[in-house]
Amino acid sequence: MAETFSPASSARARPAAPPLPGAGPLLGAQVRYQLLLLMRNPRALILSLAIPVLLLVLNSSRHTNLTPRLEEALVAGLATFGLIVTAYISHAIGLVTGRQDGVLRRWRATPLPTWCFFAGKIAATSLMALASVAIAIAAGMSLYRVHLTAGSALSLLVIFTLGALAWAALGTAVTPLVPTAQAAGPVLLLTYLPVILFSGGLGSLNSEPGWLATLARYLPAQPIIDAATRALRQAGGGPQIPGHDLAVLAAWAVAGVVASVWFFRWDPVRPRHARLP
Amino acid sequence: MTAIEVEHLVKRFGGFTAVEDVSFTVPAGEVAALLGPNGAGKTTTIEVLEGFLAPSRGVVRVLGTDPRRGGRAGRAWRARIGLVLQSTSLDTQLTVAEAVSLYAGLFPEPMGAAEVIEMIDLGSDAGTRIGALSGGQRRRVDLGLGIIGRPEVLFLDEPTAGLDPEARRELWAVIQSLVAAGTTVLLTTHYIEEAQRLADRVIVLAEGRVVADATPDQLRARGGTPVIRYRLPPGTQARDLPPALSRYVDPGRGELSLPSADLTADLDALVGWARRNRADLTGLEVTPPSLEDAYIALTTDLPPAAEPADKQRVTCHG
Repeated sequence: MAETFSPASSARARPAAPPLPGAGPLLGAQVRYQLLLLMRNPRALILSLAIPVLLLVLNSSRHTNLTPRLEEALVAGLATFGLIVTAYISHAIGLVTGRQDGVLRRWRATPLPTWCFFAGKIAATSLMALASVAIAIAAGMSLYRVHLTAGSALSLLVIFTLGALAWAALGTAVTPLVPTAQAAGPVLLLTYLPVILFSGGLGSLNSEPGWLATLARYLPAQPIIDAATRALRQAGGGPQIPGHDLAVLAAWAVAGVVASVWFFRWDPVRPRHARLP
Repeated sequence: MTAIEVEHLVKRFGGFTAVEDVSFTVPAGEVAALLGPNGAGKTTTIEVLEGFLAPSRGVVRVLGTDPRRGGRAGRAWRARIGLVLQSTSLDTQLTVAEAVSLYAGLFPEPMGAAEVIEMIDLGSDAGTRIGALSGGQRRRVDLGLGIIGRPEVLFLDEPTAGLDPEARRELWAVIQSLVAAGTTVLLTTHYIEEAQRLADRVIVLAEGRVVADATPDQLRARGGTPVIRYRLPPGTQARDLPPALSRYVDPGRGELSLPSADLTADLDALVGWARRNRADLTGLEVTPPSLEDAYIALTTDLPPAAEPADKQRVTCHG
């Protein structure tokens, strides 16, 4: 055993130190690793993939006489709900759990660039969120009178991708507010449930006050639901990307990244130091 | 060449001083142990050296570099160090082979994944998820991830805390194979046996200060006097021995236990008595002063913290 190990000092005696691995292979490995973690996490899978479909099935048995326009809004709302659960809740819980278990600290101590760790995690989360959306829309198409064209599919891809990135950035930014994995549920639910409810993600609000409707347009859920609903109603033609919705989501994504860079914490919460008397 | 340098390190958390004016160096290729009771400042010191904490005062350098330096230079430096954190820090959903391969991809000249798995003796569990491994096996995975980049300096923070004796010995065997290959190792421990087994040098910390910095043998020599132990033959009473020896007999156990300041004279008295009385000396043993005795003497009854640390430091090493 001992004869097989040699520290790199011998290698460093050469004229030039060997180069560090490039960003491409590092990022690819990170995305694969993070996807593997998500795929092997039953809680994340049920939250992301099963609950939106279950809600669609339950709604289909509850509402037998929805107009096509309401059906499209319902499918868009529940697909967005699944996306947020994956990109925000599962993503943030994963980070807090990793922080608590010391996994983040270990990553920080490796030569992996910090941006590469986050880019890998956010990319994997976004892919998982898009899978959740695809399953919810497929379920919607089989349960409701919802149809897709090439143009509407492309519109949905753009809006849901940007939505997933924005919510994953916000999920990263919120982790300093969550001290432990046990506290994650309440903190995350309190921050995202009002947003998704006011935005009509769990069913449209018929009599919301005007100020609330205006506020919701600038929160990061309603722009996704509105744009997705319009895309599902799109009869044909090329992709139609609504500027206001994209701008709001892009602003939230940037805000999430900036807050993460400033406030993200790699280490578990330390118990307060104190000498015993 | 000096691998690790610590000069007048002070680390405060608010009003609490965890490390108070600690200085030591570790030459390349040496294994040094930071030994001390809980709260002595071992982990804080090693976390400053690993770059997780900034010193409040003082200078630290690892491989000639300030561990807090960031950017690309920081990446190159990180590729030259390895670490095992105080508690297991692994993704339990990954298999051993997946974790080792993932980490191998981070370094310029990593060891082969199969080589590392063989080294940590988990060949038959390479396909097992880490969550299904025992505590000792997980700790070996931790160590495997710490060494996969062929580190020049390896930090081990209480690597065997909480392990059963067998798992501890297995982990020691892996560490000893690294040491044989010339890696500089700084380990923290509160197990005296671990320091004695692994380290060329022991730096004893207590209440955030260095109270001794010496080889295990030098420390042991400070543990007091050797002890003569002898179980009295059946039928022999304490009063049958010469008065100078008899008062050290434990009547309940029928055993002589004599801390000897003059080993030759005391042994001469005992052997003379045995010759005169035709007593069987089977079982007579002389135990050297123990590292544990020295450690306990160093870490208890410390002078008040307000006194300058230099006054309490005992340095035997280089």
